[in-house]
Amino acid sequence: MHYPEPISKLIDSFMKLPGIGPKTAARLAFFVLSMKEDTVLDFAKALVNAKRNLSFCSVCGHITDQDPCYICEDQRRDRTIICVLQDPKDVIAMEKMKEFNGLYHVLHGAISPMDGIGPEDINIPDLLKRLQDETVQEVIMATNPNIEGEATAMYISRLLKPSGIRVTRIAHGLPVGGDLEYADEVTLSKAIEGRREV
Amino acid sequence: MYIEELHLRNYRNYEELTVSFEDRVNVFIGENAQGKTNLMESIYVLAMAKSHRTSNDKDLIRWDEEYAKIEGRIKKKYGSLPMQLVVSKKGKRAKCNHLEQRKLSQYVGNMNVVMFAPEDLHLVKGSPQVRRRFIDMEIGQVSTVYLHDISQYQKILQQRNHYLKQLQTRKVKDETMLEILTEQFIQTAVKIISKRFEFLRLLEKWALPIHSGISRGIETLKIQYKPSVDVSEEQELSKMIEVYEEKFNKLRKKEIERGTTLFGPHRDDLVFFVNERDVQTFGSQGQQRTTALSLKLAEIELIHAEIGEYPILLLDDVLSELDDYRQSHLLNTIQGKVQTFVTTTSVDGIDHQTLKEASAYQVESGMITKVQ
Repeated sequence: MHYPEPISKLIDSFMKLPGIGPKTAARLAFFVLSMKEDTVLDFAKALVNAKRNLSFCSVCGHITDQDPCYICEDQRRDRTIICVLQDPKDVIAMEKMKEFNGLYHVLHGAISPMDGIGPEDINIPDLLKRLQDETVQEVIMATNPNIEGEATAMYISRLLKPSGIRVTRIAHGLPVGGDLEYADEVTLSKAIEGRREV
Repeated sequence: MYIEELHLRNYRNYEELTVSFEDRVNVFIGENAQGKTNLMESIYVLAMAKSHRTSNDKDLIRWDEEYAKIEGRIKKKYGSLPMQLVVSKKGKRAKCNHLEQRKLSQYVGNMNVVMFAPEDLHLVKGSPQVRRRFIDMEIGQVSTVYLHDISQYQKILQQRNHYLKQLQTRKVKDETMLEILTEQFIQTAVKIISKRFEFLRLLEKWALPIHSGISRGIETLKIQYKPSVDVSEEQELSKMIEVYEEKFNKLRKKEIERGTTLFGPHRDDLVFFVNERDVQTFGSQGQQRTTALSLKLAEIELIHAEIGEYPILLLDDVLSELDDYRQSHLLNTIQGKVQTFVTTTSVDGIDHQTLKEASAYQVESGMITKVQ
Protein backbone atom coordinates (compact mmCIF):
# COMPACT_ATOMS: atom_id res chain seq x y z
CA MET A 1 0.00 0.00 0.00
CA HIS A 2 1.47 3.29 -1.10
CA TYR A 3 0.34 6.68 0.24
CA PRO A 4 0.89 9.97 -1.62
CA GLU A 5 3.87 11.73 -0.10
CA PRO A 6 2.05 14.53 1.83
CA ILE A 7 -0.07 12.05 3.71
CA SER A 8 2.72 9.64 4.48
CA LYS A 9 4.70 12.60 5.85
CA LEU A 10 1.73 13.53 8.04
CA ILE A 11 1.42 9.96 9.28
CA ASP A 12 5.12 9.99 10.06
CA SER A 13 4.73 13.20 12.04
CA PHE A 14 1.86 11.85 14.12
CA MET A 15 3.92 8.78 14.93
CA LYS A 16 6.48 11.00 16.63
CA LEU A 17 3.95 11.62 19.41
CA PRO A 18 3.97 9.31 22.42
CA GLY A 19 1.43 6.49 22.41
CA ILE A 20 0.67 6.83 18.70
CA GLY A 21 1.38 3.84 16.49
CA PRO A 22 1.08 3.47 12.70
CA LYS A 23 -2.66 2.68 12.70
CA THR A 24 -3.71 5.56 14.94
CA ALA A 25 -1.39 7.86 13.02
CA ALA A 26 -3.05 6.91 9.72
CA ARG A 27 -6.50 7.44 11.22
CA LEU A 28 -5.54 10.87 12.54
CA ALA A 29 -3.93 11.84 9.24
CA PHE A 30 -7.05 10.96 7.26
CA PHE A 31 -9.16 12.81 9.75
CA VAL A 32 -7.04 15.92 9.20
CA LEU A 33 -7.82 15.64 5.47
CA SER A 34 -11.53 15.81 6.24
CA MET A 35 -11.18 18.87 8.49
CA LYS A 36 -11.90 22.44 7.34
CA GLU A 37 -8.85 24.34 6.19
CA ASP A 38 -9.25 27.02 8.88
CA THR A 39 -9.33 24.47 11.61
CA VAL A 40 -6.23 22.78 10.26
CA LEU A 41 -4.45 26.13 10.04
CA ASP A 42 -5.39 26.96 13.65
CA PHE A 43 -4.19 23.57 14.71
CA ALA A 44 -0.85 23.98 12.96
CA LYS A 45 -0.46 27.49 14.39
CA ALA A 46 -1.21 26.25 17.88
CA LEU A 47 1.54 23.66 17.53
CA VAL A 48 4.12 26.12 16.28
CA ASN A 49 3.14 28.80 18.78
CA ALA A 50 3.34 26.45 21.69
CA LYS A 51 6.83 25.54 20.67
CA ARG A 52 7.97 29.01 19.69
CA ASN A 53 6.45 31.10 22.45
CA LEU A 54 6.89 28.73 25.36
CA SER A 55 10.19 28.40 27.09
CA PHE A 56 11.36 27.47 30.54
CA CYS A 57 11.29 30.13 33.21
CA SER A 58 14.83 31.26 33.93
CA VAL A 59 14.08 31.35 37.65
CA CYS A 60 12.09 28.24 38.44
CA GLY A 61 12.22 26.12 35.26
CA HIS A 62 8.45 25.94 34.80
CA ILE A 63 7.06 26.23 31.25
CA THR A 64 6.05 29.80 30.50
CA ASP A 65 5.31 32.30 27.76
CA GLN A 66 6.90 35.17 29.68
CA ASP A 67 10.12 35.28 31.62
CA PRO A 68 10.04 35.08 34.60
CA CYS A 69 6.86 33.03 34.71
CA TYR A 70 3.57 34.25 36.18
CA ILE A 71 4.16 32.38 39.42
CA CYS A 72 7.62 33.82 40.02
CA GLU A 73 6.29 37.30 39.11
CA ASP A 74 3.29 37.15 41.43
CA GLN A 75 4.15 39.42 44.38
CA ARG A 76 1.36 38.03 46.56
CA ARG A 77 3.08 34.66 46.81
CA ASP A 78 5.13 33.66 49.81
CA ARG A 79 8.78 34.03 48.83
CA THR A 80 10.16 32.30 51.90
CA ILE A 81 9.13 28.84 50.76
CA ILE A 82 10.09 26.85 47.66
CA CYS A 83 8.59 23.57 46.57
CA VAL A 84 10.97 21.41 44.49
CA LEU A 85 9.33 19.25 41.80
CA GLN A 86 10.49 16.91 39.06
CA ASP A 87 8.30 18.00 36.20
CA PRO A 88 6.30 21.05 34.95
CA LYS A 89 3.23 18.80 35.05
CA ASP A 90 3.75 18.52 38.80
CA VAL A 91 3.48 22.31 39.10
CA ILE A 92 0.09 22.15 37.39
CA ALA A 93 -0.99 19.46 39.85
CA MET A 94 0.16 21.53 42.82
CA GLU A 95 -1.54 24.66 41.47
CA LYS A 96 -4.83 22.81 41.10
CA MET A 97 -4.71 22.23 44.82
CA LYS A 98 -4.81 26.04 45.42
CA GLU A 99 -3.46 25.54 48.94
CA PHE A 100 0.18 26.16 48.30
CA ASN A 101 1.14 29.78 48.08
CA GLY A 102 4.91 29.57 47.84
CA LEU A 103 7.19 29.34 44.81
CA TYR A 104 8.29 26.35 42.79
CA HIS A 105 11.46 24.94 41.39
CA VAL A 106 11.29 22.38 38.59
CA LEU A 107 14.23 19.98 38.30
CA HIS A 108 13.29 18.37 34.97
CA GLY A 109 14.14 14.87 36.09
CA ALA A 110 15.71 12.99 38.96
CA ILE A 111 19.22 11.78 39.62
CA SER A 112 19.73 8.30 38.19
CA PRO A 113 23.30 7.05 37.65
CA MET A 114 21.90 4.08 35.71
CA ASP A 115 20.54 6.43 33.05
CA GLY A 116 23.60 8.64 33.20
CA ILE A 117 21.74 11.49 34.92
CA GLY A 118 23.87 13.17 37.57
CA PRO A 119 23.16 16.17 39.83
CA GLU A 120 24.56 18.62 37.22
CA ASP A 121 22.23 17.25 34.54
CA ILE A 122 19.09 18.44 36.30
CA ASN A 123 18.16 21.92 37.47
CA ILE A 124 20.02 21.74 40.81
CA PRO A 125 22.73 24.44 40.28
CA ASP A 126 20.01 27.02 39.59
CA LEU A 127 18.22 26.03 42.79
CA LEU A 128 21.38 26.61 44.82
CA LYS A 129 21.82 30.03 43.22
CA ARG A 130 18.23 30.92 44.11
CA LEU A 131 18.81 30.03 47.72
CA GLN A 132 21.85 32.27 48.13
CA ASP A 133 19.95 35.37 49.16
CA GLU A 134 18.36 34.92 52.53
CA THR A 135 14.63 35.19 51.81
CA VAL A 136 14.01 31.45 51.52
CA GLN A 137 13.48 29.71 54.85
CA GLU A 138 12.01 26.39 53.80
CA VAL A 139 12.45 24.01 50.87
CA ILE A 140 9.82 21.32 50.38
CA MET A 141 11.08 18.28 48.51
CA ALA A 142 8.16 17.01 46.45
CA THR A 143 10.00 14.63 44.11
CA ASN A 144 8.32 11.32 43.30
CA PRO A 145 8.24 8.66 46.02
CA ASN A 146 10.44 6.19 44.15
CA ILE A 147 14.13 5.36 44.45
CA GLU A 148 15.37 8.09 42.11
CA GLY A 149 13.05 10.75 43.51
CA GLU A 150 14.02 9.81 47.03
CA ALA A 151 17.76 9.92 46.21
CA THR A 152 17.33 13.34 44.63
CA ALA A 153 15.50 14.67 47.69
CA MET A 154 18.18 13.29 49.99
CA TYR A 155 20.94 14.71 47.82
CA ILE A 156 19.51 18.21 47.80
CA SER A 157 18.82 18.17 51.51
CA ARG A 158 22.45 17.14 52.07
CA LEU A 159 23.63 20.10 49.99
CA LEU A 160 21.42 22.50 51.90
CA LYS A 161 22.33 21.30 55.37
CA PRO A 162 25.20 23.81 55.93
CA SER A 163 22.97 26.73 54.90
CA GLY A 164 20.57 26.14 57.78
CA ILE A 165 17.52 26.30 55.51
CA ARG A 166 14.73 24.04 56.70
CA VAL A 167 14.26 21.10 54.28
CA THR A 168 11.07 19.05 54.45
CA ARG A 169 9.83 16.02 52.53
CA ILE A 170 6.20 15.53 51.51
CA ALA A 171 4.44 12.66 53.28
CA HIS A 172 3.56 9.41 51.59
CA GLY A 173 1.10 6.72 52.51
CA LEU A 174 -2.63 6.27 52.21
CA PRO A 175 -4.64 8.27 49.68
CA VAL A 176 -7.24 10.51 51.29
CA GLY A 177 -10.84 9.43 51.01
CA GLY A 178 -9.85 5.84 50.31
CA ASP A 179 -10.65 2.78 52.33
CA LEU A 180 -7.93 1.17 54.36
CA GLU A 181 -8.98 -2.28 53.19
CA TYR A 182 -8.24 -1.45 49.54
CA ALA A 183 -4.71 -0.20 50.13
CA ASP A 184 -1.96 -2.55 48.98
CA GLU A 185 0.44 -4.01 51.53
CA VAL A 186 3.43 -1.92 50.48
CA THR A 187 1.57 1.39 50.75
CA LEU A 188 0.15 0.30 54.09
CA SER A 189 3.56 -0.58 55.45
CA LYS A 190 4.83 2.87 54.37
CA ALA A 191 1.86 4.46 56.09
CA ILE A 192 2.69 2.58 59.29
CA GLU A 193 6.34 3.62 59.06
CA GLY A 194 5.32 7.26 58.70
CA ARG A 195 2.69 7.27 61.45
CA ARG A 196 2.50 10.22 63.80
CA GLU A 197 1.30 11.11 67.24
CA VAL A 198 -2.25 12.45 67.46
CA MET B 1 -5.43 -25.19 48.95
CA TYR B 2 -5.46 -27.22 45.80
CA ILE B 3 -5.80 -26.87 42.04
CA GLU B 4 -9.19 -28.01 40.81
CA GLU B 5 -8.55 -27.34 37.18
CA LEU B 6 -5.61 -26.37 35.03
CA HIS B 7 -5.80 -24.97 31.54
CA LEU B 8 -2.79 -24.40 29.29
CA ARG B 9 -2.56 -22.82 25.89
CA ASN B 10 0.61 -22.61 23.82
CA TYR B 11 2.66 -23.44 26.88
CA ARG B 12 5.99 -25.09 25.93
CA ASN B 13 4.96 -28.37 24.23
CA TYR B 14 1.27 -28.04 25.16
CA GLU B 15 -0.96 -26.57 22.50
CA GLU B 16 -4.20 -26.81 24.42
CA LEU B 17 -4.81 -28.71 27.61
CA THR B 18 -7.55 -28.81 30.20
CA VAL B 19 -7.27 -31.18 33.10
CA SER B 20 -8.90 -31.43 36.51
CA PHE B 21 -7.21 -32.70 39.62
CA GLU B 22 -8.23 -34.05 42.94
CA ASP B 23 -7.15 -33.00 46.38
CA ARG B 24 -4.55 -35.71 46.86
CA VAL B 25 -1.48 -37.14 45.24
CA ASN B 26 -1.46 -36.88 41.45
CA VAL B 27 1.19 -38.81 39.58
CA PHE B 28 2.34 -37.94 36.07
CA ILE B 29 3.81 -40.98 34.37
CA GLY B 30 5.59 -40.75 31.06
CA GLU B 31 8.78 -41.30 29.13
CA ASN B 32 11.46 -38.65 28.97
CA ALA B 33 10.78 -35.46 27.00
CA GLN B 34 7.01 -35.87 26.95
CA GLY B 35 6.19 -32.78 29.03
CA LYS B 36 6.02 -33.93 32.64
CA THR B 37 8.32 -31.25 33.94
CA ASN B 38 6.69 -28.64 31.70
CA LEU B 39 3.42 -29.42 33.42
CA MET B 40 4.98 -29.01 36.85
CA GLU B 41 6.64 -25.82 35.73
CA SER B 42 3.33 -24.40 34.51
CA ILE B 43 1.81 -24.86 37.97
CA TYR B 44 4.84 -23.21 39.50
CA VAL B 45 4.70 -20.30 37.06
CA LEU B 46 0.98 -19.84 37.71
CA ALA B 47 1.80 -19.32 41.38
CA MET B 48 5.08 -17.41 41.23
CA ALA B 49 4.78 -15.60 37.87
CA LYS B 50 8.25 -16.85 37.01
CA SER B 51 9.88 -20.13 36.21
CA HIS B 52 12.28 -22.06 38.40
CA ARG B 53 14.11 -23.28 35.33
CA THR B 54 14.61 -20.22 33.18
CA SER B 55 14.83 -16.51 33.68
CA ASN B 56 13.74 -15.87 30.12
CA ASP B 57 9.95 -15.81 30.01
CA LYS B 58 9.89 -16.21 26.26
CA ASP B 59 11.09 -19.78 26.68
CA LEU B 60 7.65 -20.62 28.08
CA ILE B 61 5.87 -19.79 24.84
CA ARG B 62 5.25 -22.64 22.44
CA TRP B 63 7.42 -22.54 19.33
CA ASP B 64 6.23 -19.98 16.76
CA GLU B 65 3.36 -18.74 18.92
CA GLU B 66 2.75 -15.24 20.20
CA TYR B 67 1.78 -15.92 23.77
CA ALA B 68 1.37 -18.63 26.38
CA LYS B 69 -1.58 -18.75 28.75
CA ILE B 70 -1.92 -20.59 32.04
CA GLU B 71 -5.20 -20.65 33.89
CA GLY B 72 -6.08 -22.41 37.07
CA ARG B 73 -8.89 -22.65 39.53
CA ILE B 74 -7.55 -22.81 43.05
CA LYS B 75 -9.77 -24.20 45.74
CA LYS B 76 -9.11 -22.44 48.99
CA LYS B 77 -10.66 -22.68 52.40
CA TYR B 78 -13.16 -20.02 51.50
CA GLY B 79 -14.15 -20.75 47.91
CA SER B 80 -12.50 -21.03 44.52
CA LEU B 81 -10.07 -18.50 43.13
CA PRO B 82 -9.49 -18.24 39.37
CA MET B 83 -5.92 -17.28 38.47
CA GLN B 84 -4.62 -16.43 35.03
CA LEU B 85 -1.18 -15.61 33.70
CA VAL B 86 -0.47 -14.64 30.11
CA VAL B 87 3.13 -14.53 28.96
CA SER B 88 3.69 -12.72 25.69
CA LYS B 89 6.81 -11.44 24.01
CA LYS B 90 6.07 -8.00 25.42
CA GLY B 91 5.66 -9.10 29.00
CA LYS B 92 3.36 -10.75 31.51
CA ARG B 93 -0.22 -10.04 32.44
CA ALA B 94 -1.69 -11.51 35.56
CA LYS B 95 -5.29 -11.80 36.61
CA CYS B 96 -6.54 -12.92 39.93
CA ASN B 97 -10.25 -13.46 40.44
CA HIS B 98 -10.75 -12.00 36.92
CA LEU B 99 -9.16 -8.73 37.99
CA GLU B 100 -6.01 -7.57 36.30
CA GLN B 101 -3.14 -7.20 38.77
CA ARG B 102 -0.99 -4.27 37.81
CA LYS B 103 1.82 -5.29 40.09
CA LEU B 104 3.10 -8.83 40.04
CA SER B 105 3.94 -8.49 43.72
CA GLN B 106 0.19 -8.24 44.30
CA TYR B 107 -0.39 -11.41 42.30
CA VAL B 108 2.24 -13.65 43.80
CA GLY B 109 1.16 -15.11 47.11
CA ASN B 110 -2.44 -15.83 46.17
CA MET B 111 -1.48 -19.38 45.38
CA ASN B 112 1.31 -21.09 47.30
CA VAL B 113 3.50 -23.84 45.95
CA VAL B 114 6.56 -25.65 47.19
CA MET B 115 8.71 -27.16 44.47
CA PHE B 116 11.11 -29.96 45.13
CA ALA B 117 13.21 -30.76 42.08
CA PRO B 118 16.55 -32.54 41.71
CA GLU B 119 18.36 -29.19 41.70
CA ASP B 120 17.00 -28.55 45.20
CA LEU B 121 19.19 -31.34 46.41
CA HIS B 122 22.00 -28.89 45.64
CA LEU B 123 20.56 -26.43 48.08
CA VAL B 124 23.19 -27.40 50.61
CA LYS B 125 26.26 -27.94 48.50
CA GLY B 126 25.49 -25.59 45.60
CA SER B 127 26.54 -21.96 45.28
CA PRO B 128 25.33 -19.28 47.72
CA GLN B 129 23.17 -17.91 44.94
CA VAL B 130 20.98 -21.03 45.10
CA ARG B 131 20.42 -20.52 48.81
CA ARG B 132 19.66 -16.80 48.47
CA ARG B 133 17.16 -17.60 45.74
CA PHE B 134 15.57 -20.20 47.99
CA ILE B 135 15.18 -17.82 50.89
CA ASP B 136 13.93 -14.91 48.74
CA MET B 137 11.34 -17.05 46.95
CA GLU B 138 10.04 -18.48 50.19
CA ILE B 139 9.73 -15.24 52.11
CA GLY B 140 8.24 -13.64 49.01
CA GLN B 141 5.41 -16.16 49.03
CA VAL B 142 4.26 -15.09 52.45
CA SER B 143 5.26 -11.42 52.44
CA THR B 144 4.38 -8.93 49.72
CA VAL B 145 6.33 -6.25 51.53
CA TYR B 146 9.46 -8.38 51.30
CA LEU B 147 9.00 -8.83 47.54
CA HIS B 148 8.75 -5.07 47.23
CA ASP B 149 11.84 -4.52 49.38
CA ILE B 150 13.82 -7.00 47.30
CA SER B 151 12.91 -5.30 44.05
CA GLN B 152 13.75 -1.87 45.53
CA TYR B 153 17.03 -3.31 46.73
CA GLN B 154 17.93 -4.58 43.26
CA LYS B 155 17.27 -1.15 41.79
CA ILE B 156 19.29 0.70 44.41
CA LEU B 157 22.11 -1.80 44.00
CA GLN B 158 22.15 -1.15 40.26
CA GLN B 159 22.15 2.61 40.77
CA ARG B 160 24.94 2.37 43.31
CA ASN B 161 27.04 0.07 41.14
CA HIS B 162 26.64 2.42 38.20
CA TYR B 163 27.74 5.33 40.30
CA LEU B 164 30.72 3.42 41.65
CA LYS B 165 31.70 2.58 38.06
CA GLN B 166 31.50 6.27 37.19
CA LEU B 167 33.68 7.14 40.18
CA GLN B 168 36.11 4.40 39.21
CA THR B 169 36.52 5.73 35.69
CA ARG B 170 36.66 9.32 37.07
CA LYS B 171 33.61 10.37 35.09
CA VAL B 172 32.27 11.93 38.26
CA LYS B 173 34.01 13.07 41.43
CA ASP B 174 31.13 13.96 43.71
CA GLU B 175 31.14 11.53 46.64
CA THR B 176 28.07 13.09 48.25
CA MET B 177 25.91 11.21 45.78
CA LEU B 178 27.65 7.98 46.76
CA GLU B 179 26.82 8.72 50.39
CA ILE B 180 23.16 9.18 49.49
CA LEU B 181 23.03 5.96 47.51
CA THR B 182 24.80 4.18 50.36
CA GLU B 183 22.26 5.51 52.83
CA GLN B 184 19.39 4.27 50.66
CA PHE B 185 21.17 0.97 50.18
CA ILE B 186 21.67 0.41 53.89
CA GLN B 187 18.07 1.29 54.75
CA THR B 188 16.74 -1.44 52.45
CA ALA B 189 19.54 -3.90 53.19
CA VAL B 190 18.86 -4.03 56.93
CA LYS B 191 15.13 -4.49 56.33
CA ILE B 192 15.87 -7.49 54.14
CA ILE B 193 18.39 -8.95 56.55
CA SER B 194 16.16 -8.69 59.58
CA LYS B 195 13.32 -10.31 57.66
CA ARG B 196 15.65 -13.13 56.65
CA PHE B 197 16.78 -13.61 60.24
CA GLU B 198 13.17 -13.85 61.34
CA PHE B 199 12.24 -16.29 58.59
CA LEU B 200 15.19 -18.58 59.24
CA ARG B 201 14.36 -18.74 62.94
CA LEU B 202 10.88 -19.96 62.02
CA LEU B 203 12.16 -22.33 59.36
CA GLU B 204 14.62 -23.84 61.81
CA LYS B 205 11.88 -24.34 64.35
CA TRP B 206 9.87 -26.40 61.85
CA ALA B 207 12.86 -28.17 60.30
CA LEU B 208 14.35 -29.38 63.56
CA PRO B 209 11.74 -32.07 64.43
CA ILE B 210 11.38 -33.08 60.79
CA HIS B 211 15.10 -33.57 60.37
CA SER B 212 15.33 -35.48 63.57
CA GLY B 213 12.49 -37.70 62.33
CA ILE B 214 14.17 -38.49 59.03
CA SER B 215 17.50 -39.17 60.68
CA ARG B 216 15.84 -41.44 63.25
CA GLY B 217 16.56 -39.05 66.03
CA ILE B 218 20.32 -38.95 65.80
CA GLU B 219 20.81 -35.63 64.04
CA THR B 220 20.11 -32.05 65.08
CA LEU B 221 19.80 -29.45 62.35
CA LYS B 222 20.78 -25.83 62.79
CA ILE B 223 20.47 -23.05 60.27
CA GLN B 224 22.65 -20.00 60.41
CA TYR B 225 22.58 -16.83 58.36
CA LYS B 226 26.04 -15.79 57.27
CA PRO B 227 25.95 -12.07 56.55
CA SER B 228 28.70 -10.41 54.53
CA VAL B 229 28.71 -7.55 57.00
CA ASP B 230 29.05 -8.45 60.63
CA VAL B 231 25.51 -7.87 61.87
CA SER B 232 23.69 -10.19 64.21
CA GLU B 233 20.16 -11.17 64.90
CA GLU B 234 20.01 -9.62 68.36
CA GLN B 235 20.87 -6.15 67.10
CA GLU B 236 18.26 -3.47 66.69
CA LEU B 237 17.79 -2.05 63.20
CA SER B 238 19.55 1.15 64.22
CA LYS B 239 22.57 -0.80 65.45
CA MET B 240 22.71 -2.78 62.18
CA ILE B 241 22.63 0.48 60.24
CA GLU B 242 25.57 1.72 62.30
CA VAL B 243 27.59 -1.43 61.63
CA TYR B 244 26.86 -1.15 57.92
CA GLU B 245 27.77 2.54 57.80
CA GLU B 246 31.08 1.85 59.47
CA LYS B 247 31.89 -0.95 57.04
CA PHE B 248 31.07 1.13 53.98
CA ASN B 249 33.04 4.10 55.30
CA LYS B 250 36.08 1.90 55.81
CA LEU B 251 35.88 0.29 52.42
CA ARG B 252 34.86 3.22 50.31
CA LYS B 253 38.23 3.44 48.54
CA LYS B 254 38.22 -0.25 47.75
CA GLU B 255 34.68 -0.13 46.41
CA ILE B 256 35.53 2.76 44.11
CA GLU B 257 38.64 0.92 42.96
CA ARG B 258 36.61 -2.15 42.12
CA GLY B 259 33.63 -0.17 40.84
CA THR B 260 31.03 -2.34 42.52
CA THR B 261 29.19 -2.91 45.78
CA LEU B 262 31.14 -5.46 47.79
CA PHE B 263 28.76 -6.14 50.68
CA GLY B 264 25.10 -6.55 51.32
CA PRO B 265 22.29 -9.10 51.28
CA HIS B 266 23.24 -9.98 47.71
CA ARG B 267 26.50 -11.43 49.06
CA ASP B 268 25.11 -13.15 52.15
CA ASP B 269 24.80 -16.89 52.60
CA LEU B 270 23.21 -19.64 54.66
CA VAL B 271 25.06 -22.34 56.56
CA PHE B 272 23.53 -25.58 57.74
CA PHE B 273 24.89 -27.51 60.69
CA VAL B 274 24.15 -31.11 61.55
CA ASN B 275 25.29 -32.01 65.05
CA GLU B 276 27.29 -28.78 65.12
CA ARG B 277 29.17 -29.61 61.92
CA ASP B 278 28.90 -27.68 58.68
CA VAL B 279 27.00 -29.97 56.32
CA GLN B 280 28.36 -28.34 53.19
CA THR B 281 31.96 -29.17 54.06
CA PHE B 282 31.71 -32.15 56.38
CA GLY B 283 28.33 -33.70 55.64
CA SER B 284 27.88 -36.88 53.63
CA GLN B 285 25.78 -36.95 50.46
CA GLY B 286 23.00 -38.53 52.49
CA GLN B 287 23.13 -35.82 55.15
CA GLN B 288 22.99 -33.13 52.49
CA ARG B 289 19.93 -34.74 50.98
CA THR B 290 18.25 -35.14 54.32
CA THR B 291 18.90 -31.48 55.05
CA ALA B 292 17.42 -30.37 51.73
CA LEU B 293 14.41 -32.60 52.31
CA SER B 294 13.80 -31.36 55.85
CA LEU B 295 14.02 -27.74 54.65
CA LYS B 296 11.40 -28.35 51.99
CA LEU B 297 9.08 -30.15 54.39
CA ALA B 298 9.59 -27.40 56.95
CA GLU B 299 8.62 -24.89 54.30
CA ILE B 300 5.28 -26.64 53.85
CA GLU B 301 4.59 -26.42 57.57
CA LEU B 302 5.76 -22.84 57.72
CA ILE B 303 3.47 -21.71 54.94
CA HIS B 304 0.65 -23.53 56.68
CA ALA B 305 1.42 -21.72 59.91
CA GLU B 306 1.68 -18.32 58.19
CA ILE B 307 -1.37 -18.41 55.93
CA GLY B 308 -3.50 -21.12 57.48
CA GLU B 309 -3.51 -23.43 54.47
CA TYR B 310 -1.18 -26.04 53.11
CA PRO B 311 0.60 -25.12 49.87
CA ILE B 312 0.62 -27.28 46.77
CA LEU B 313 3.65 -29.55 46.60
CA LEU B 314 5.45 -30.27 43.35
CA LEU B 315 7.82 -33.23 43.37
CA ASP B 316 9.66 -33.25 40.10
CA ASP B 317 11.74 -36.41 39.64
CA VAL B 318 12.90 -36.48 43.22
CA LEU B 319 11.28 -39.64 44.52
CA SER B 320 13.74 -41.71 42.54
CA GLU B 321 16.59 -39.71 44.05
CA LEU B 322 15.61 -40.56 47.61
CA ASP B 323 16.05 -43.93 49.28
CA ASP B 324 13.06 -45.95 50.50
CA TYR B 325 13.20 -44.64 54.02
CA ARG B 326 13.31 -40.98 53.02
CA GLN B 327 10.65 -41.59 50.39
CA SER B 328 8.20 -43.02 52.86
CA HIS B 329 8.98 -40.28 55.36
CA LEU B 330 8.20 -37.69 52.73
CA LEU B 331 5.00 -39.38 51.64
CA ASN B 332 3.86 -39.90 55.21
CA THR B 333 4.25 -36.23 55.98
CA ILE B 334 2.11 -35.08 53.10
CA GLN B 335 -0.47 -37.79 53.25
CA GLY B 336 -4.02 -36.52 53.34
CA LYS B 337 -3.19 -32.86 53.81
CA VAL B 338 -1.18 -31.58 50.86
CA GLN B 339 -2.17 -31.75 47.23
CA THR B 340 0.92 -33.17 45.60
CA PHE B 341 2.08 -33.59 42.04
CA VAL B 342 4.70 -36.22 41.33
CA THR B 343 6.49 -36.97 38.08
CA THR B 344 8.10 -40.30 37.37
CA THR B 345 8.98 -42.49 34.41
CA SER B 346 7.42 -45.52 36.06
CA VAL B 347 5.68 -46.29 39.32
CA ASP B 348 7.45 -49.60 39.72
CA GLY B 349 10.22 -48.64 42.10
CA ILE B 350 7.89 -46.66 44.32
CA ASP B 351 5.90 -48.80 46.66
CA HIS B 352 3.82 -46.90 49.15
CA GLN B 353 0.29 -46.65 50.37
CA THR B 354 -0.03 -43.01 49.30
CA LEU B 355 0.93 -43.75 45.75
CA LYS B 356 -1.55 -46.60 45.57
CA GLU B 357 -4.32 -44.21 46.45
CA ALA B 358 -3.10 -41.59 44.01
CA SER B 359 -4.64 -40.53 40.71
CA ALA B 360 -2.35 -41.40 37.86
CA TYR B 361 -2.02 -39.56 34.56
CA GLN B 362 -0.20 -40.73 31.47
CA VAL B 363 1.76 -37.93 29.79
CA GLU B 364 2.60 -38.40 26.14
CA SER B 365 3.87 -35.71 23.76
CA GLY B 366 1.81 -32.86 25.14
CA MET B 367 -1.34 -34.89 25.89
CA ILE B 368 -2.63 -36.19 29.18
CA THR B 369 -4.89 -39.11 29.85
CA LYS B 370 -6.12 -40.26 33.21
CA VAL B 371 -5.19 -43.82 34.04
CA GLN B 372 -8.11 -45.73 35.50
